Amino acid sequence: MTEAKTATLPDLDRPGQHGLLATLFRFQSLFGLVLVFIAAVVYSPSKNGELVFLDSGNLFNVVRSMSEIGILAVGMTLVILIGGIDLSVGSVLGLASVGAAVLLTENGLGLVPAVLVVLAIGLGFGLLQGFAITSFGIQAFIVTLAGMQIARGLARIWSGGQGVSITYGDGPGQAPESFSLLGERTFNGLVPIPALIFLVVAALAVVLLRVSAFSRHIYAIGGNEKAARLSGVPVKRVKIIVFGLCGLLAALAGIVHAGQLNFGGPNDGSMYELDAIAAVVIGGTSLMGGRGSVVGTVAGALLVGVLRNILGLNNVDSNVQLLVIGLVIVLAAGLQRLRPASVS
Amino acid sequence: MRKSRGLAAVGACLLLAACGTTSENSGTGGAQGAPEKCGADGQYTIGMSQANVAEPYRQRMDDDIRAAAASVPQFTVNFADAAQDNSKQVEQVDNFITQQIDLLIISPNEATPLTAPVKRAFDKGIPVLVLDRKVDGDAYTSFIGADNVDIGRQAGEYYKTVLLPNGGKIGELRGLAGSTPARERHDGFMQGIQGSNIEIVAAQDGDWLRDKGQQQADAILKANPDIQAIYSHNDPMGEGARIAASNAGRADLPITGIDGLPIESGGLKAVEAGRLSATFLYPTGGKEAIDAAKRILVDCQQVPKTQTLPTKLVTKENAAATYAELNGS
Repeated sequence: MTEAKTATLPDLDRPGQHGLLATLFRFQSLFGLVLVFIAAVVYSPSKNGELVFLDSGNLFNVVRSMSEIGILAVGMTLVILIGGIDLSVGSVLGLASVGAAVLLTENGLGLVPAVLVVLAIGLGFGLLQGFAITSFGIQAFIVTLAGMQIARGLARIWSGGQGVSITYGDGPGQAPESFSLLGERTFNGLVPIPALIFLVVAALAVVLLRVSAFSRHIYAIGGNEKAARLSGVPVKRVKIIVFGLCGLLAALAGIVHAGQLNFGGPNDGSMYELDAIAAVVIGGTSLMGGRGSVVGTVAGALLVGVLRNILGLNNVDSNVQLLVIGLVIVLAAGLQRLRPASVS
Repeated sequence: MRKSRGLAAVGACLLLAACGTTSENSGTGGAQGAPEKCGADGQYTIGMSQANVAEPYRQRMDDDIRAAAASVPQFTVNFADAAQDNSKQVEQVDNFITQQIDLLIISPNEATPLTAPVKRAFDKGIPVLVLDRKVDGDAYTSFIGADNVDIGRQAGEYYKTVLLPNGGKIGELRGLAGSTPARERHDGFMQGIQGSNIEIVAAQDGDWLRDKGQQQADAILKANPDIQAIYSHNDPMGEGARIAASNAGRADLPITGIDGLPIESGGLKAVEAGRLSATFLYPTGGKEAIDAAKRILVDCQQVPKTQTLPTKLVTKENAAATYAELNGS
């Protein structure tokens, strides 16, 4: 019964429903990414006859630097797909980075236990937020706004207000050296590990959103929550799990962050929630919920990364950079508004 | 516990290799940080990586660098603003390395996260001048900055000898919790007031911000109406405290700051107008950095590893003169 009814729910964004134009809009961020990439090649400064932007070190740098935002944005995509928002992810990233640093150095935990504890904290934090949203009927915006403050407070308390430096070795107070791999430039001289983690996370999310019943539930809730509930979708449970996943990914991003910087910063990750939301919006996911894709988000995150990189390489003033990226967000959102009209 | 032996071994090798480079070169007096080219007939691009340009102090640092570099025809300076974000600053330093700049000036947001990228630049033969806040280790060419402990100590001594020679209760407005200057300005102050009867009866974090300083001073004054002065870790919080003091009917409460920025909205003008009883100069080092860059790139000389900039007590008597002097008139 459940199966039959959920299948009849509005499902505009699944593939194969509309023509070429719809495909264009559906993958607007992919096209945007290609355009920005071409522009970056064209406007790349050159040294000794070689384009600086295309230098492999530089390209890796782009992917590596966007990997944390990318991981956050994947979790944010799920939340936004159910019509929610999570403002706490930046603070949870800070909390997790502090947690990883403290557990690895001061508490002398091994790599695996420390990572598991931090991930559990992120998951628990997200689940609690989801529980508060669904059980007390408070808006996600408000709950996660509170969560943002609480996580930041916890991060500052846990670290004693100070950033925690991570040093590597076998002695007391030192983290296992394998953790430093996150901060190394590349794995096997090829792929930066943070980028690898980002890609794996994104791939898992894509699979999750393609094959499972969970995916239908997510799109159904975002499309029309009431209809979804009436047709037997376990709305409450799905919502709680989605916020839990978002918290889990924020903690993962925090671990990557700490590894990249050899440092757990209680003030780190502030405003990252907005970068993540920006990547999701540029990726074409509707803030109203029910429509969007993880592939779009990945492209959106990379688009911002490439844009920031090429502006940086051309020494564009940082205030102008903010302005340009702001305009891109507005443009992407504007394209979304155009979409329903042109599709129908 | 250390589960993946293989990974650990790879990490160890990488780490050892990295360490080897450092220790080899630290002793030789900057062979690694020595520029590939130098001389008066070259053209040089300098990358300036600023932690956060939203703070007036750091804006002024950039301005000082811009002004000083304008008088060296060989120099072009590119500025990057990390907006208080460690990751962003790492990325920006890596961008500068990609661009193959001739010299890096950096004022790091935090020491540890910026240590690796600074070392990457240094190891590539890019001279690195670290301004105001240090990095870990010694993979840089020169550190230029003031001594916050010393500034705090001088502030404490000013309280002990001038402001409250007979002792008394005071409040303290601290900078952002966990930041090095906040800790050092506090520690130095405690050293400075040692042996006096001055007692800090209330201390709150004002995060370096004027409005936060006002709120916290408000609370301090309500809880401790008998305090006799407020020691603020910077001028903007001190200005906020002045408003709180006026509102509490304590318009004459002595308040001191630190920074002494020579701009219209800065501490020197506040001291001149009597809103602050005193401030302690915290020089930006911008001019000194360009001087050092000129010695390295244009004159092909070495610079000292550490250059500590002196502070100065600024009161109503010398505020106007100091303002004029720092703005080069």
